[in-house]
Amino acid sequence: MTQTIFFIVLAIYVVLGGIVARYIKNRDDFYVMGERGSTVLIVGTLSATYLSAVTLLGIAGQSYAEGPLVIAALGSFGAWIGTLIAVIYIGRKMKALDCKTMPDFFEKRFNNKTVSIIALIIMIIGLLGYGVIQLIGAGLVLSEVTGISFSMMIILFTLALLVFCALGGMYGVVVTDTIMLFTMMAISVVIAPLIIGQAGFAEMKALSETIPFYWTIGGAEERPLGWSISQFLVWILFFSCTPALVSRVFPAKNDFVILKSAVIGVFFAPFMQVIVFIAAGGMQVLQPGIENTDNVMVLGFLNHVPDALGGIGLAGLMASIMSTASTLFVLTGFALARDLYEHLFDKKLSEQKSLRVGRYAQIFVAAIVCAIAIAQPSAIYWISIYAGAIFGVGWLPTVVGGLEWRRMNSKAAIGSMLIGTATFILVDELARNEIITLPVHIDSLMISFAVAVLALVVIALSTQPNQYELDYYDFMKQQSMSKNTIEQFLQEGRSKGLAKLKKEYKQTVVISIVFIGIAALVWGYFFVMLGF
Amino acid sequence: MNTDVFILFFNSFLTTVLSVAAVVWILRKQYLPVIKQLEQEEQEDMSDEKHHEHS
Repeated sequence: MTQTIFFIVLAIYVVLGGIVARYIKNRDDFYVMGERGSTVLIVGTLSATYLSAVTLLGIAGQSYAEGPLVIAALGSFGAWIGTLIAVIYIGRKMKALDCKTMPDFFEKRFNNKTVSIIALIIMIIGLLGYGVIQLIGAGLVLSEVTGISFSMMIILFTLALLVFCALGGMYGVVVTDTIMLFTMMAISVVIAPLIIGQAGFAEMKALSETIPFYWTIGGAEERPLGWSISQFLVWILFFSCTPALVSRVFPAKNDFVILKSAVIGVFFAPFMQVIVFIAAGGMQVLQPGIENTDNVMVLGFLNHVPDALGGIGLAGLMASIMSTASTLFVLTGFALARDLYEHLFDKKLSEQKSLRVGRYAQIFVAAIVCAIAIAQPSAIYWISIYAGAIFGVGWLPTVVGGLEWRRMNSKAAIGSMLIGTATFILVDELARNEIITLPVHIDSLMISFAVAVLALVVIALSTQPNQYELDYYDFMKQQSMSKNTIEQFLQEGRSKGLAKLKKEYKQTVVISIVFIGIAALVWGYFFVMLGF
Repeated sequence: MNTDVFILFFNSFLTTVLSVAAVVWILRKQYLPVIKQLEQEEQEDMSDEKHHEHS
């Protein structure tokens, strides 16, 4: 059965990729789906990208072993806040500046090749390193479950990715993400609650009698509070500037789509994670003693829910792998084709040629990903330690400084990105090799972030922005998504535009109120069942 | 009451509260004044038209 589900999921991706490819007429369609993204599509791609295999495998396993609160209560909270910042602050501001990719921002803001090249290198290493390691981890679990050899699984995954990334570009990724989100939602809405129901809230609460501290933030390992707070900060840094989330905003049709997606998508972040973590706790009641804890949810799908639902659960797991991988890889391809080849090499390409280059880049990325995932060179494990968080130290200070500080300039950007990234790697390597001991509960990411900010401030204060940077800052401050959207609506005439504005305004307020109510109901229910 | 469990679900709820607060702030700050101004302009235009019709 598992093999059948695997092939069905892949087939859906390939078929959808083929269908969506028909809508790709020009480079804007390919890179930002012609900026036609509706609320459903943006929420779909945002939520599907957010839910990665890490939630369903690694963190679910940790929740099973140590307790559901260990990561969820503070670490994941940081990720949810980071997602909100990525969408409503960084993504929204960059879209107002007409950025089609995140490196666009560095190019527009500083107009400096060195800044653009450093930003691009950080992006490619960050996305590929993080994406490939996730693909390897998830591929190993799926290979065990389905009986398909690991190499064959990676080749099939890559081929499916290739079809809809190369043919459909961002359009393909957004549409497949949205469709796949429904299978992922089935895990949170049906399958995980079934596991929780079978385990029983009373039995789950009683776990703290056999496993002391199971229902505490420190968990069974009695992790100190400082560790949890450090996780909270690290996850904020990690998520708020990651291109996988920020770039989800770029295909949005208008500002109201972004605002509605911020409310709904950010609600789904805890909704999809916390219920899975609680179900992982339920698995401790139903099937204690699982040694390979990464497999906890897979075993839950296979052994503790009806076959058909278990199949959907596995499909959801595969969808979570594919949706995160597709976003990471499509963005890497964009970076190579658009930001490196077209912009940095100053290639003036026709629409058709630009589209072709974009597709070649996707094929190139797919081949590289496939080769690295199968060969698993030891370097990829080393890179992956730093890849996920590199945007927090490498990009975040420069992006926020660039958006908010008039004095910000290319020298400060270069200094901050290089010093931040180098400090991150250096401090972490020294600490891991026990050459230095970090202060208790201070993560190397936090130290390097502080160093990157300090470097940025010192260099910016001791240098001057050039005229272009000053002019662009002034121009940037006059741009906003609300202004763009109001202008866009009023193009249809004042009366019609005003009516549309009022309608969207009301709709956004209603959605906000409804989701506050849903959040209160869902989390209130779980609190009453588990908190007393 | 288990305070640690409370923190988990409070933070889950707070996430939505924060996103809604940010969105409502943007709506009120960036959209409401424009909507009111456009409504006023439309009313003025309508009263001007009526005035012309009467005269």
